[in-house]
Amino acid sequence: MKKNRKYVMTQESSLGKGANIVVIIFFTLIMVLAFMPVLLVFMVSLTSEKSIAEYGFSFIPHEFSLDSYYYLFRTGSTLPRAFLNSVIITVSGTALGLVIMCPCAYALSRKEFAHIKALMVFLLIPMLFSGGLVSSYMVNTQILHLKNTYLALILPGMCSTWYIMIMRNYFRMSVPDSLIEAGKLEGVSPFQSFLLIVLPICRPVVITVAVFQIFAYWNSWYPALIYIDSNHSELYPLQYVLVNIDRTVQAMTRDAAKVAGAVNVNVPGTAMKMTLVVITILPIMLLFPFFQKFLRTGLTIGAVKE
Amino acid sequence: MAKRSHGSLSASARKERRQLNIMTLPAVIWYGLFCYLPLFGIAFAFKDFTPVPGRSLFENLFINSPWVGLRNFSYLFRNPLSRSVILNTLFYNSIFIVAGIVVSVSLAILLSEVHQKKFRALVQMTLVLPYFISWVVIAYCVYAFLSTDLGLINHILTALGADPVQWYQSPESWRGILIVLEIWKTTGYTMIIYLCSITNIDRTLYEAAALDGATFLQRVRFITLPQLRPTIATLFILSIGSIMSSDFGLFYQVPMDSGALQEVTQTLDVYVYKSLMYEANFSYSSAAAFLQSSVGCILLVISNIITRRIDKDSALI
Repeated sequence: MKKNRKYVMTQESSLGKGANIVVIIFFTLIMVLAFMPVLLVFMVSLTSEKSIAEYGFSFIPHEFSLDSYYYLFRTGSTLPRAFLNSVIITVSGTALGLVIMCPCAYALSRKEFAHIKALMVFLLIPMLFSGGLVSSYMVNTQILHLKNTYLALILPGMCSTWYIMIMRNYFRMSVPDSLIEAGKLEGVSPFQSFLLIVLPICRPVVITVAVFQIFAYWNSWYPALIYIDSNHSELYPLQYVLVNIDRTVQAMTRDAAKVAGAVNVNVPGTAMKMTLVVITILPIMLLFPFFQKFLRTGLTIGAVKE
Repeated sequence: MAKRSHGSLSASARKERRQLNIMTLPAVIWYGLFCYLPLFGIAFAFKDFTPVPGRSLFENLFINSPWVGLRNFSYLFRNPLSRSVILNTLFYNSIFIVAGIVVSVSLAILLSEVHQKKFRALVQMTLVLPYFISWVVIAYCVYAFLSTDLGLINHILTALGADPVQWYQSPESWRGILIVLEIWKTTGYTMIIYLCSITNIDRTLYEAAALDGATFLQRVRFITLPQLRPTIATLFILSIGSIMSSDFGLFYQVPMDSGALQEVTQTLDVYVYKSLMYEANFSYSSAAAFLQSSVGCILLVISNIITRRIDKDSALI
């Protein structure tokens, strides 16, 4: 695995010094373009409502203001609650998913497991074929009764055949068979060798899957759209509050007016929307540099064929 | 290989196998509940679903609803709306697949030639970031540019003396917008995969080419592209498998569900969602979903067979 990361090819590059600079400028432009939308939203969140109304959204605030942040944090419980919901869903979904997927991947990586073929087919069929939204919806609401519960936001996305395969391949490649055989002679059971030998060695791949799941859960809003009714808004995760942004901002504006004790207080509604967007992606932006190297591992293991 | 007959297994080996079986149990249960249990729902597609309130789902589906054969499917293909929805889905996915490969392969090749290692890492990290931003967030980023009275683009247009455009009311520009957004979101991710494959190419090939005085384009054409072929094929086959599926967020959230844009932005997933949620039309939306799954599955198998005929190493299975 380590070898993959070595991608030095300086001496073999066919680009001359000049061409190299042109390519660097080209990529710098692309990076700026790629980052621009996020930057625009960030700058708008720092702009005063008056200057938004007058000049529209722009990269350079005509009038700088932190009002929208102030109002979002001061008014009502909607935002802290939604943030907490997102954290609960992300943490529990990721953790439970790992608890289910890791042992399964381990069993699949062991030759003495009797049902490798059958289980592989069992896990691969859902990758190719699914009952579709309608029947999942019917099963989840009418048989499993998940509607308007946290579980509806946690359970459906918990496992993925893709991740199980990635982990299985990694377990196979990086845990020498002799190590587990030696453990067996000492009377170590499969479950113990999974916990004490395999997991510590294979921590990188487990963290990689965790990182992917964390981002997936943090970004998920579709289950909330389908399974949470508007009269259960206390279950809304942050992303779904964003989907309902107009209603949310209206409610907050009302609260803000109450707090301020005046009816026609000037609440920064538009800036508040953009501030909510910033708050939603802020955790991702902050964690991204730390997660980055694990993401790379995940992306590349995924692409390696057996 | 492992011994098959149970009689020859020692007690400890049997215990070991049992423990391994138990370790897979949670996953088997999860897949049973969330993947296999909904499979019976394929029956929705071949039924005229007429639920009797108060009865169980199974009873309603299998006893109270009559079989209608392929009627739901023939409706899908005759109804102009669902026909345009299917065409939209195929149109966007074909463009996404081709443009996705062209853009990310060329960017990966170009980036792999940059001398500075740190810069290469920085570019990868920046370009992959959009992949981890949700479509909901992106929808508001887009709104900041396209909003009619506040948007940056209209602001610039009026400053230049042009008339502002009501973006969320003008369908003609949205095909382009959606394609650009999809590429913006996914290119970084696929580019990294291609970059890794390029990294794994045998360096001596390039050294030999350098001795022969090969130009940049010759290197790309005769070494890099042929060596990338298996990776391109893998990603291609995988995307063919989901040619009837579309990203719900991109086609529903980003156009802000604007009615005026529907003819160009509505894809199968949006259609399925809307007919389920707004019209409670279980049979049609289930038929559409079945179409997605089966067409994708068949195409995946076919494209894999074709790829294997052409180049054995590039095939997926």
